[in-house]
Amino acid sequence: MFTVIVSGLAIGMLYAAVALVYNVMFSTSKVLSVTTGHIAMLGGVFGAWFMTGLHLHWIVGLAGALAVGALFGGLTELLAIRRVLNRSDEHLWLLSTLALATMVQQAVGLWWGTEPKPFPRLIDQSFGAGALDQKFWLPIALAVLMAVGLELFYHRTMFGKLFLAMSEDAFAARARGVSTDRIRFLSYVLSGALGGLAGFAAGQLTFAYFALGLTLTLNGFIALAVGGLGSNVGALIGGAALGLLNAFASHWFGGSYQQTIAVGLLMVVLLLKPEGLLGSKNVRPV
Amino acid sequence: MTADFKTPIAVAVALLLVATLPWWAGDQYQLHLAALICVYWILIAGLNLVVGYTGQLSIGHVGLLAIGAYAFAILAGKMAWHPLAAMAAAGALGGLCGLALGLPSLRLPGFYFAMATMAFALIVGEIVLAQVALTGGGVGLPGPLFPAPFDSPQGFYYLVAALAALTTWLSWNVARRLWGLGLMSIRDNPVAAQAVGVPLFRAKLVVFVFSGITAGVSGAVFSSLQSYITPETFVFELSLFFFVCIIIGGRGSIVGPFLGTVVLTALPELVAPLAKLGNFFYGLLLLVVVLAVPEGIGRMVEMVLARLRPRVVTNEPIEPDLPRLARAIGARA
Repeated sequence: MFTVIVSGLAIGMLYAAVALVYNVMFSTSKVLSVTTGHIAMLGGVFGAWFMTGLHLHWIVGLAGALAVGALFGGLTELLAIRRVLNRSDEHLWLLSTLALATMVQQAVGLWWGTEPKPFPRLIDQSFGAGALDQKFWLPIALAVLMAVGLELFYHRTMFGKLFLAMSEDAFAARARGVSTDRIRFLSYVLSGALGGLAGFAAGQLTFAYFALGLTLTLNGFIALAVGGLGSNVGALIGGAALGLLNAFASHWFGGSYQQTIAVGLLMVVLLLKPEGLLGSKNVRPV
Repeated sequence: MTADFKTPIAVAVALLLVATLPWWAGDQYQLHLAALICVYWILIAGLNLVVGYTGQLSIGHVGLLAIGAYAFAILAGKMAWHPLAAMAAAGALGGLCGLALGLPSLRLPGFYFAMATMAFALIVGEIVLAQVALTGGGVGLPGPLFPAPFDSPQGFYYLVAALAALTTWLSWNVARRLWGLGLMSIRDNPVAAQAVGVPLFRAKLVVFVFSGITAGVSGAVFSSLQSYITPETFVFELSLFFFVCIIIGGRGSIVGPFLGTVVLTALPELVAPLAKLGNFFYGLLLLVVVLAVPEGIGRMVEMVLARLRPRVVTNEPIEPDLPRLARAIGARA
């Protein structure tokens, strides 16, 4: 039973980390990018490639995964977000990020292969550790660290306060002399690095697999929507709830209806409390 | 020639081309390709009303296609129904599932709706894999053939071409009447649409159910055309393909998405290197279109033509109707 709880929490915390990445992007641009899960996928795949393909030390691999994630995050902003946001407030960003996500997934599939490949051990530990294995504890610790770090960043640093100002009202922030384009770009680079970190830390749990991106995009979004859009604590709670629900459901009923259960949770929460557990209420669109 | 005459002539030429295609198509493979285009178009014509006109970005229609395909394969194959009856049942089931999906998800805003439909496609895949007794699981099911007049490649082509023409006609009827205007107003400004009395949720739900029915019918003929279906046939990327056809063709048009379907289906088959790149190519195309011409290529062609055409400035002076004016003034005085 302890193993079920820990493995559920581990996968749930990976979803929570993806939800945090969504939050960072959403705070400055009001965009929910389809590429969010793919950033984490890139972190896992490139981490595995740096360590097993190029035989580098894991610290170098981690730095590489962070760099690739940050690069892709910045690229997302430059290619898919900037022009679309400048043009209009239509939902075109959904199409452009979807296009970019597809391209990345296919490119990785062609280059890396379509089979999941193993991710190397980061810390020396015997494989018989069971529920105390690093593959469970790394994502859990990382997601909590990420949430705490983001809260500190938002409330204790100047850049963090600029992010908050933009999420409250981008026009007012611009009027006060904030370079909103640059802050948005920085937020995408930051979210890319965080996504790469999440994918790297959870690599042993998920394997380095090219099709992981779409699953993470969907489940991270479910964690986000359950917890409440824009809330970091909500993202942790939503991710934990989703992971535990999935783990217990597959423990009792078998693992063939994972997605159905996850979406069921989403629908129940959206019907009962459309803004999520800790989200703020929507304003009327007029 | 005025616009009143142009449309019937264009329709007649298009119908003639479609009807005579088996004679001028080079070989069996090209006929198969034409049938595939028709099968895709049956679904896309319905989806076009949802995506192109109403602006609801559904990326999960492959789930409805799979439901139609499996319903047809099970009913006509295992239970030995008449294939045409099985096809009608597949359409009805597609419509029901569209209703079941649309009722909760059409209330959600843009990204939420897209994610809900994507999740629906994944759920259908999961259920198909899990229900081995019904669907054959990962092994799949054979897609039965249609009976006598439709069992040859030509016959089957005529069947799907007739179905495609029918769905085109139905969707055109929706698009050109007040309904189409209402749907476009939902896409462009839901608040304004609601203010002038467009029933937002009901209108969205009706076109979504219609697209579910066409997806079910399309799935039925799809499984017969493919002759064997497995869960691998209905990958999420197929959904993306339908979506890209519409966006590239242009939103709020029927000819544009149709040309998009024809070109995007035929291009990877005829140009071998593109087939290897596959979905990367579709993604690139979608990105380029969204960034460069968000209105779609069809709209861009229209704009270029309008630019080329010599501008005719008609001068219609309006003469005041003096006696009537005098009478009106006199009456008041």
